[in-house]
Amino acid sequence: MSRILVVDDEPQILRALEMSLRGAGYDVDTASTGAQALTAAAVQPPDAVILDLVLPDTRGTDVCRELRTWSTVPVIVLSVVGDESEKVAALDAGADDYVTKPFGVDELLARLRAALRRVEGESEPVREVGELRVDIAGREVTLGGCPVQLTPHEFTLLSLLVRNEGKLLTHKAILEEVWGHAYADESHYLHVYVSQLRRKLEPDPARPRYILTEPGVGYRIVNPARRTS
Amino acid sequence: MNVRSGRSYGELATGLLASAGAVVFVTAAITELKPYVPVLSLGVLYVFAVLLIAVLWGIGLASLVSVASMLAFNWFFLPPTHTFQLRDGANWLALAVYLVTAIVVSALAARSRRRAELAELREREAAALAEEVLEAEALRRSDAIKTAVLHAVSHDLRSPLTAIVAAASGLANSELRLADADRAELVTTIRSEADRLDRIVGNLLDLSRLESGVAAPHPALWPVEELVGRAVEELGVEGERVVADLDADAPPVRVDAVQIERVLVNLLDNALKFSPPGSPVQVRVDEQDGRLLLHVVDQGPGVAAGERDAVFEAFRRGGGAAAGGAGLGLAIARGFSEVNGARVWVEDDPWGGHFVLALPAAERTPVST
Repeated sequence: MSRILVVDDEPQILRALEMSLRGAGYDVDTASTGAQALTAAAVQPPDAVILDLVLPDTRGTDVCRELRTWSTVPVIVLSVVGDESEKVAALDAGADDYVTKPFGVDELLARLRAALRRVEGESEPVREVGELRVDIAGREVTLGGCPVQLTPHEFTLLSLLVRNEGKLLTHKAILEEVWGHAYADESHYLHVYVSQLRRKLEPDPARPRYILTEPGVGYRIVNPARRTS
Repeated sequence: MNVRSGRSYGELATGLLASAGAVVFVTAAITELKPYVPVLSLGVLYVFAVLLIAVLWGIGLASLVSVASMLAFNWFFLPPTHTFQLRDGANWLALAVYLVTAIVVSALAARSRRRAELAELREREAAALAEEVLEAEALRRSDAIKTAVLHAVSHDLRSPLTAIVAAASGLANSELRLADADRAELVTTIRSEADRLDRIVGNLLDLSRLESGVAAPHPALWPVEELVGRAVEELGVEGERVVADLDADAPPVRVDAVQIERVLVNLLDNALKFSPPGSPVQVRVDEQDGRLLLHVVDQGPGVAAGERDAVFEAFRRGGGAAAGGAGLGLAIARGFSEVNGARVWVEDDPWGGHFVLALPAAERTPVST
């Protein structure tokens, strides 16, 4: 049974999430400050953390950065509409995903399951996302059994996305990984390569089903069959 | 800087007319004074004409007046009169000295006039600039306030909303296996968070009424017990922590009951929010100088000395406060107090938070039965 640590300073939100997650079969720990959260995570390491970005003692982003110095546990941050820069900061600090308040429990559970799944399948050399199959070691990509020709940069980008299936990757994180630190701010590179990838992979590149855009934040690849929202 | 460029034709004509008038006037004056004073020493009177024209129209016309007045003096007063001839050679020197004096005076006068104009212009510019700065500052402040309002409101509205959506979607999700007690608690959460949302919306409305000045009170005589009782009732379950120790003999107060109830609800709500869960919040009264002092005392950390006035500003919250609330309650408490002739402040109290509401007490009228 997976253990989830929920961090929010609003007692009512904390209680509602605790009961819903427990109802979904998870063990739940709660914390209402950043300091409590770090202590709880150290005492009994959780399998995933749900972290509010606004805490009374510190920013959720800082908690996330601190946590990342000794833990790779998936972190889903709770954010609010219009706070794009804070979302990006949290993701760059190591958060895996975010949901925007107010959110339904279904959406949160879907994100949580995706995050936990990612951890399980971390070391597989061949990744499948829907009809897409990426052999990372063999550098081969097939879509519905047909081989797809990709340039080296396209392949690096795609393998980064599939290795993080469901996870939201920020522009900066992708650029640094695929093109290197010097290109961290050149998001137009990324937009061009993503649209090339979509033309090769998506049935309808204008309405992507695999590579999804999170406006102002980044991209994620999802299994179209598993999409919940 | 050319202050008076483009002088109009009409202005020039007026100037010429005034110049001629000034010369004629001084000539007439000298004619009148001639029997009493040696005429040569009266020539200096023309300087007044020059000065006047220099100040009003500048050096150009003033020079003209200097020459014209010199000629007029020569023509009318210096022998042989009614000619431009001079009998006495020393008079030539006197006229020359006069001319130089007149022109220097007009130059100085014209310069001081330009300075005055410049100064006036600068003053006008400075005033305009100051006004602009003030307007910009007011605009910046109102923008800052709007941003703060939007921020506080969006956070404070969203928190209960998030709890409601989370609880409702949890209840609706058929995959979740919820214990009956959990199910009941989720329903309670939805109810109480909806009430909280309603209180915040009510506070926002109250605040906008106060700010737009439409909160005219309708004062009447009320026993303070009843006001406190109604406020406590409105606080629901949390209100059970309020311990009211009221003097049955306390005089009634003359206030708008609805508005003072808002004050009390907000003071009590604040005390409940910032004190340990389950700890009592005490309410007691005493009388002082025709006022009824209502004390609300909690066991929380209290308000830091430097913040005792600031807590009553809208969208302010005590330092490090984790509890929810837009920081509207105390601003509303102060607003409604003031329109009712009451006052509210923070008392220095080592034991915890201590707010005082001073209400105007009514005269104790003997009850006739």
